[in-house]
Amino acid sequence: MRPEHVDPGAGAMLRRIELAQPELRRRIRWARLIDVFWLELDNPREEVIHALTEIFHDPVLKWLFTGDLIPSAADKHGGMQDLMAASPSLPGTFWALERRFRPGVTDNVARTLSEALGIVLGPRAGGIRAASGSLLLMEGPQLSEDALAGLARDVFCNELIESWTMLSGEELRRNSRFHPEQVQRQFPRVMLKGDRTVERIGLDGLSVSQLEEMSRKRLWALSGPEMLAVREYYSREQTRALRKTYGLADPTDVEMEVIAQTWSEHCKHKIFQARIRYEDQTGENQPLIPNEVNSLFKETISGTTAEIDRPWLISVFKDNAGVVALDEEHALCIKVETHNSPSALDPYGGALTGIVGVNRDILGVGLGAKPIFNTDVFCLAVPDYLQTLPDRLLHPRRILDGVRRGVEHGGNKSGIPTVNGALVFDSRFLGKPLIFCGTGGLMPRQIQGVPTHVKEIRPGDRICMVGGRVGKDGIHGATFSSLALDEHSPVSAVQLGDPITQKRTADFLLEARDRLLFRTLTDNGAGGLSSSIGELATLCGGAKMDISQAKLKYPGLRPYEIVVSESQERMSMAVAPEKMQEFLTLAENRGVEVSVLGEFTDRGLFEIFNGTEPVGILHLDFLHDGNPRLELEAVWTGSPPPPGQVETGFDREAGPMLLQLLSRPNIASKEWMIRQYDHEVQGTSVVKPLHTVSPGSPEERSGPNDGAVLKPKASSWVGVAVGCGINPKLSDVDPYLMAQSAVDEAVRNVLAVGAEYGRPDAVLALVDNFCWPDPVNDAGKAAALVRTCYGLREAALALNAPLVSGKDSMKNDFTGRIQGQEVKISVPPTLLMTCVARVPDVRHARTSDFKAAGDVIFLLGHGEFGLLGSELHSLLSERLREKGGHDRQVVLPVGTAGQGRVRAGRPHWEVANRVYRWLGGAEGKRQLHLRSAHDVSEGGLGVALSECMIARGLGAAIDLPEGNDPWEYCFGEGFHSFLVTVRGATASEVEEELSGLGVPFRRLGMVTSSRQLEVNWKGPAGRQSFQLSTAQLAQAWKKEGYWE
Amino acid sequence: MSANTLRALVLTGDGINCEVETAEALRLAGFEPEIRHLNDLIREKLTLDALSLGYAVLALPGGFSFGDDLESGKVLALKIRHGLSWDLHEYADRGGLVIGICNGFQALIKMGTFGKDVSITHNAQGRFVNTWVRATPQRSRSLWLKGAGTMELPARHGEGRIVFPVKNRASVLSKLERQGMICLRYEGDPNGSEERIAGLCDPTGRILGLMPHPEAAVRGTAHPSWTGQPDGAGARGDGMQVFENAARAAREAR
Repeated sequence: MRPEHVDPGAGAMLRRIELAQPELRRRIRWARLIDVFWLELDNPREEVIHALTEIFHDPVLKWLFTGDLIPSAADKHGGMQDLMAASPSLPGTFWALERRFRPGVTDNVARTLSEALGIVLGPRAGGIRAASGSLLLMEGPQLSEDALAGLARDVFCNELIESWTMLSGEELRRNSRFHPEQVQRQFPRVMLKGDRTVERIGLDGLSVSQLEEMSRKRLWALSGPEMLAVREYYSREQTRALRKTYGLADPTDVEMEVIAQTWSEHCKHKIFQARIRYEDQTGENQPLIPNEVNSLFKETISGTTAEIDRPWLISVFKDNAGVVALDEEHALCIKVETHNSPSALDPYGGALTGIVGVNRDILGVGLGAKPIFNTDVFCLAVPDYLQTLPDRLLHPRRILDGVRRGVEHGGNKSGIPTVNGALVFDSRFLGKPLIFCGTGGLMPRQIQGVPTHVKEIRPGDRICMVGGRVGKDGIHGATFSSLALDEHSPVSAVQLGDPITQKRTADFLLEARDRLLFRTLTDNGAGGLSSSIGELATLCGGAKMDISQAKLKYPGLRPYEIVVSESQERMSMAVAPEKMQEFLTLAENRGVEVSVLGEFTDRGLFEIFNGTEPVGILHLDFLHDGNPRLELEAVWTGSPPPPGQVETGFDREAGPMLLQLLSRPNIASKEWMIRQYDHEVQGTSVVKPLHTVSPGSPEERSGPNDGAVLKPKASSWVGVAVGCGINPKLSDVDPYLMAQSAVDEAVRNVLAVGAEYGRPDAVLALVDNFCWPDPVNDAGKAAALVRTCYGLREAALALNAPLVSGKDSMKNDFTGRIQGQEVKISVPPTLLMTCVARVPDVRHARTSDFKAAGDVIFLLGHGEFGLLGSELHSLLSERLREKGGHDRQVVLPVGTAGQGRVRAGRPHWEVANRVYRWLGGAEGKRQLHLRSAHDVSEGGLGVALSECMIARGLGAAIDLPEGNDPWEYCFGEGFHSFLVTVRGATASEVEEELSGLGVPFRRLGMVTSSRQLEVNWKGPAGRQSFQLSTAQLAQAWKKEGYWE
Repeated sequence: MSANTLRALVLTGDGINCEVETAEALRLAGFEPEIRHLNDLIREKLTLDALSLGYAVLALPGGFSFGDDLESGKVLALKIRHGLSWDLHEYADRGGLVIGICNGFQALIKMGTFGKDVSITHNAQGRFVNTWVRATPQRSRSLWLKGAGTMELPARHGEGRIVFPVKNRASVLSKLERQGMICLRYEGDPNGSEERIAGLCDPTGRILGLMPHPEAAVRGTAHPSWTGQPDGAGARGDGMQVFENAARAAREAR
């Protein structure tokens, strides 16, 4: 960027430095951010000059520093000193940090540069190699080498994937950086031994502990009993005889890796299949939880869906995503994934691959669906975390910044709107952040008469790997995520996504799908080819794969690495031989690479060859069903004793408390984040994450919505609503309640925006995502899992909401050191529920903002709230901890002492159904009179009211009902409740209908034009009230300057 | 092609991602849109003659062509220039209409459609932003914006800031104004663009480039506060008039 223009890249970098190291930021007087490229080209000098000028030269905006190649492309020196001369402080003390990717890390910009050179040079282009990086040029007399090294490590680079160099002003002026030898030296180059060896693994004669040691060292994550099962398989006569025909005896490393990937917790969900003995020591036996659980998955997840059995369920739990009917023509597909471990190491790359990975689940469901929305939920430690970090952990602010950018790039560049999400902060997410990425898709139910949800392969169909190439990135991702994170976690597990390669692949495969050019497909995710082909092989009974045909990013990968690499942007497909030519031609025309890796068979084997050499022969039935069942012990010892209460004046304290709650990171506005995601691409948006009045004008104001509504079909008014529920803080009270709360909140979020509910054909489906601290050998955490599953089951059954897809991540623990001291940090048991539902006609969708003065405010629902496990409870606990106290000492406020014990809100499913059936259009018809609807969740009624007022700057006056504690009613949290408004003129009609149908409700007050919140209640001293201006509420909620 | 059909060519490929809604907006306005992959057009060597004969409108939709790497729209511009060598001014002179939206606008700028003194780069705040803007058509020759009032449209970009050379800024600006090329301005300042420019047209008014997305504002229910507006659900979006203007101009051009 020429010095006369502002440099937004440098500005953004300085803001990041300001947030991370404010003191250092003050020492930087001036900064510019410069793109750096390393290039290798065989073309003659003149052609290179011509090409670079065409690609890079922009005389309005840019200078180009190329050493002595094109000196005229900058100012009088043609070098960096021209830029330095523009610094306001001259002669100045200059420094620069230059970063570049480590060898083998995906470099998307370099890929584009190579393509651009190919376009410009055409057939003359020869031997192009490119690498990209950037250089941060700074001026400041107080900058020291130490401070800059800290800056490089903590802000500018992620040393796992990038390396950096520090340069002084002197070196920068010398221009020696452009010498070919220097460029050569700095070029990131993958140097692999090129060793094609297949190792033989001797298992015979080893003790269990030796087997376990071997598994640990090689990152297989196989347990002792699993290693024994593998050994037993190889000792079988049938196995030996078969292997002999291939000239194989001992297991090969390829086979062991394939088994390890297939049996990993990540792929196999062993904990959800485990036999569990559950003991409840509280004496209050929950009748719904048996003492022997055969498989949590079968009994509480798939079993629950089977019991609910709706006609619109098309494909559940057997494909990459859940598939439900949206209408006669189209199916809606949904999947939510986590990408926790990679995001802990490289937040940007982890979240980026998370989002493009779950997109591939949708692209790979049935015959392939088009992604129509993304969701993202992040659970992190607070971004202003001040204590010492354990070694190797990144600061939560860096993680937040990185994962946000990852989702931004992953979603925006793929043209998929990011429409829904949540941010949850808790200090226990410091060790492993939870990064959930979800995608919904739309798929025609039939193509030329072929049903799209059925996956079929015939022997003889070709195995095709489509999209990206295989590299060393992402080796052992599946097994790695099945282990706890520690300071030695491998860097090869980290990958960077390439949204453009994926976009091309996605466009290609949807086009090929519509022409039925392939039989079926699946995504290449965890476990790479070993999983994708290993799983597809079960559809026809075998596969014979030749890995020497796989296109590689660089030579020198070992055979097992090719098989398990999780390099991104790849899909695996089965193509009928007679369609191959057309398939390959279309791929070529779309610029998509295909590797033909052999064919599917019906021999019952997964045969892996490297050229003609057999490197892995496994029976499919052993591979998929040979792992021993896990057995777990679960003991529930009950909820911790509730905190005490202290009488606190509501009149004095409630107002300040409400403002503090609104500023809590869990509640405060996420506008800074939402606006960096494209939430409207595809042109389908109906209810956005924020509603905005007077957009583009000085009076512009936004407020939050509960869920999103999309209109995915141009030809129809039918809509899709999506919402989520997550409430890990209730795990501290009872995981059973936590699960129910998550389900209820997810369902309420879609109901608020206008989803249908209650009729037999009403489409409303749930997706579960469990993120757990390791429950193996921990009876307490296992009990939490059991209780969560049964809580989830009860809620889903009560609401007739089938589960259609899900995922679990069971090793969310970190062990490491803080200043030499060992620490273990485990996440709280966390269940994310995502709800998708149909909106019969999007013209009846709702938003949460109060619309006009004079509208009447109702609370729908039974209005039973509790402070236990509420956001207010968390706030008081945190305050206590800051003062050195312990959570157990916390006391909660109460209006008048002795009113009762501290409680948590409890579900009442019969009430829920009455409320939801009315809102969802199954009963009555005056729900169409609703002008706004908002669920009452974090922060309770006070926060919900404020959020409804903020967007239009209106006021509200409400009366708290007598006989309730004002603290509990105003800030307690609970189930089934909504704040809704109707016009004054229709209020009595609506009341009449609600009363007639037995829907519990309460008229709370009115929307006013006073621009303030007025809360009235009857206290000991008679009628009392507090007021806060809407502007104060909005200011607290927005909390500007808190984030980048 | 029957006498009444107005065909529109909507480009896709390489990371373009608003082709479907752009085609739909054109269809609603009365065009018969065809979404075509750039690679196919290059392979078929679709000439300017074939383009002029076959299509009343060429649309370059929004998206992230080539990941916005190097500069947004730059590599797409190179690919169109080298692969198809269309002279868009010639196309316009023969009666063709061109619209470049967001990334399509960036590509038009990088192709030099609005002269060598106009460039576009990162928003002043250094961030991608998805927000609705108010954009007002200026006195210009643009056929696409003829008669349109202030429009509320979504803007969704990280690189929407128009820049001029600092040295001869005044003369560049006055030339653009003289030629009636500054056709759309923001009411506010969402990205630090020179003169709050949201869109430019060529001197004939047949080529339009703009950062906000009219194709994402053809339905009333797309507006961020439609639930609070009288008949919000039944209303049309402000973006629709852009495409209807094009249909009118295309009919007149025959």
